[in-house]
Amino acid sequence: MAQETVNVIFQPSGRRGEVPKGCNIIEASRLLGCDIEALCGETKVCGKCIVRIEDGHFEKYNIQSSMDHVTPWQEEVEAKFINPENREKGFRLGCVAKIEDDILVFVPEESRAGKQVVSKAARDIHIDFNPTIKLYTIELKKPDFEDKTGDWERMTNGLAREYGLTDLTIDIMTLRTLPGALRAKNWTVTVSVWNDKEVIRIQPGKVTHTYGIAIDVGTTTCAGYLCDLTTMEVIGTSSMMNPQCKYGEDVMARITFHMTTPGGLKRMSDDIIEGINSLIDKAITLTHPKKKKIKKKKGEEGPVEYKEIIEEGVEYLRINKEDIEDVTIGFNTAMHHILLGLDPEPVGLAPFPPVIHHSLDIKARDLGIDINASSYIFAMPNEAGFVGGDNVGVLLAEEPYKSDEIQLIIDIGTNGELILGNRHKLYSSSCATGPAMEGAQLAFGMRAAPGAIERIEIDPDTQDVDYRVIGHDKSRKFSKPEEMKVKGICGSGILDVLAELYRASVITKTGVFNKKFLKDNPRFRKNADTGQPEFILAYKEDSSIGKDIVITQKDVRQIQLAKGALYAGCKLMMKRMGIEKVDTVKIAGAFGTHVDREKALVMGLFPDCEIENIHGVGNAAGDGCRAALLNKKKRDEANWCARNVQYLELTVEPTFEKDFMEAMQMPHMTDKFPHLEGVVPDHVLNQGPKGPVKPEVKS
Amino acid sequence: MSNQEEILAALKEAVVEYEEDDCAEAAQRALDEGVDPMIAVMDGLAAGMEEVGVLFDTNEYFVPEVLMCADALYKGLDILRPHITLDDDSPKASVVIGSIQGDVHDIGKNLVKMMFDVAGWDVHDLGRDVPLESFVEKQLDVNSDVLAMSAMMTTTMMGMKKVIAMVKEKNPECLIMLGGAPVTRDVANLFGADGYAESAGNAVSEGIKMIGRLREFQKGDIK
Repeated sequence: MAQETVNVIFQPSGRRGEVPKGCNIIEASRLLGCDIEALCGETKVCGKCIVRIEDGHFEKYNIQSSMDHVTPWQEEVEAKFINPENREKGFRLGCVAKIEDDILVFVPEESRAGKQVVSKAARDIHIDFNPTIKLYTIELKKPDFEDKTGDWERMTNGLAREYGLTDLTIDIMTLRTLPGALRAKNWTVTVSVWNDKEVIRIQPGKVTHTYGIAIDVGTTTCAGYLCDLTTMEVIGTSSMMNPQCKYGEDVMARITFHMTTPGGLKRMSDDIIEGINSLIDKAITLTHPKKKKIKKKKGEEGPVEYKEIIEEGVEYLRINKEDIEDVTIGFNTAMHHILLGLDPEPVGLAPFPPVIHHSLDIKARDLGIDINASSYIFAMPNEAGFVGGDNVGVLLAEEPYKSDEIQLIIDIGTNGELILGNRHKLYSSSCATGPAMEGAQLAFGMRAAPGAIERIEIDPDTQDVDYRVIGHDKSRKFSKPEEMKVKGICGSGILDVLAELYRASVITKTGVFNKKFLKDNPRFRKNADTGQPEFILAYKEDSSIGKDIVITQKDVRQIQLAKGALYAGCKLMMKRMGIEKVDTVKIAGAFGTHVDREKALVMGLFPDCEIENIHGVGNAAGDGCRAALLNKKKRDEANWCARNVQYLELTVEPTFEKDFMEAMQMPHMTDKFPHLEGVVPDHVLNQGPKGPVKPEVKS
Repeated sequence: MSNQEEILAALKEAVVEYEEDDCAEAAQRALDEGVDPMIAVMDGLAAGMEEVGVLFDTNEYFVPEVLMCADALYKGLDILRPHITLDDDSPKASVVIGSIQGDVHDIGKNLVKMMFDVAGWDVHDLGRDVPLESFVEKQLDVNSDVLAMSAMMTTTMMGMKKVIAMVKEKNPECLIMLGGAPVTRDVANLFGADGYAESAGNAVSEGIKMIGRLREFQKGDIK
């Protein structure tokens, strides 16, 4: 009799498949290649494997998931690790809950084995100091019968006298704290003033530091940069997957979820707000000492208590949620609309108009963001189409509008965003690159975590593959197979692989595997199940999942589509601008810092350019968001950018189809790449439509 | 190999190998040697395109190659079509085709359009980003046998439902076909469409598959 199976999907990794009914979630995760932390080896004592069972129907996977689809709650085991509130939300221990029917499981960051490598690290860019929040410490005379002016007027008179601040207003939440604060430290208070206009916080005594956080909300990943608003220092960064991924990979799928599901917009909005709160929480937790649970004596009752482990020589800032007084958020237009609960439907239909272009100052509490009660969130302005505040962030960080040379800036994400121009003229556009370049939808694609191939080199003579994985510092050549522990391939590896396959003649310029040339090469084979041609990057013995890690013909096609869209976008913008070549190319995005510029040019991610003038600029969108946090002039600049950059809708350009098609080949069907001469063998670079022909070596 | 077979093979190969000049040359030879132009189109050009579809499905060929094959096919078609004589008794079939409002993608739609061109239909191409009402107006105006709509984005797909309701209300006879990456058989049924071009997640292979079905149709295999 056939064994009964159920469908299980793990989020955010996206791993899915059928598993035998009755196995627990940890077992399922192993079968499907999604790692959940399980330190105790499923003896139900470590509490590391907390996961959440999602509730509801998920159109994207066509499954109905419910908390009732796993075995019932076990109070004596699970209550130790999961409080009633989280139990309500669907949290369970992976080793306890056995699967009875289809489920969608969310694995929180803490429970994932092999933490994601934060590639959205902050970069050192120049920012002028002019934060929106300024601190004013003032000493007041306490009231007596001569002067019985009220608290507020007393304070504002003082601020006008000492600092020349006039016409200040105050938020009710802050006003409620005023009398207490004034009297707590003998009428000396430190006042936080937002935009020289509104008092948003009053603290007793003299306070010298205040904090803010810049948040980059990407379609797939989000990052937060916790900054000291008085020293401009980045204190900590935190990142997470966008919790909306379960509703669909790209912005269109999210908008469709809203259009087809009643209450869908609210669900997605609530999810990302909850995500942002946890992102902030994570960032401030880094400023506190680590905590350890105090072991209870046998039979001892009572709540779990923690003790701090203080490392010597470390100064802890101990920042609390209330200390976060300012937040800036950058996102693409669809993420903007969904987060703010604005109808995203019109932005999903040509000509894609947003609800609003201008930036917004919104009380954090109105959105449910848990920081200082009276503080504002600054939502970056939108340009046009899907090009939103994240692209404005890139502009703010790179400032092409202040440069003479013509810059091409490519921000690679789930949506590719392009900027071209200089101080005289600037264009922007966006193209659907899809999630392929971030590792999704490829046979062995994965996020940047230990075990991910991040660098690849293929020998042009033997087609042998040398590679590097995250978490192991030596390449394959200098390691033993069992040291590699490969699981898949991540973004930077994906950028490498197409260039290397092409350079080593494994694929022709059209992207098809070069069968004639590969012949009996042991790395090249047809997949027994799918009949698809594939090329082995890492053999089974190098892998920790017991499989050969391959790149399939379909994977190659996926990457080609993404790179073709980017190249075509660049070219159409250059045509519009009337230029033949660009001076500088900057590559931004999660792996902008890891990109190998030579390989980016070899695969033809963008038109020919001097290799020395190609630069990786990291997460420029996040950097721009940080600039807006620390310098309020940048907020005006953001609004100027949003309305003065000319947006180009690529797909309606008359030659789009042809340009897109030609750009899918390596490096391009017809465009010349003089800067690749000497980098790519001549017979490969100048190959005909039927593939490279290696010149005969004369004996 | 007889002369005709040889010419048909040449047409087929020219399409598969995307050789525009060879295709034009073979088409001219077909006319010179007295091959029935309809057979040359269906068993030469369209048969070639069908093979391209197989190559596309196995990932041997990709979008650029397919589009170049289509270019080659049109080179041959332009030469052969003026010589195809139609039976006066059977009026020419016609189709109104376009990408739906809000959608600016039309690579897939153009391939489907090619299929109708190959079959010698009267094709009224409304282009892309076509307002919902324009589909209805044009369909009523020319009283086409088929209305074909494509959507490449899930967001725009919803507009097709409205068009179907409007057309069916005024002209229940008109057959409606849907296509595009996000469109599934379930969606087509749900929206009340008559036909649906099976999609392997990509409009390209779908367009080509329809050519195959059309060839069967022309041969009277399916009614």
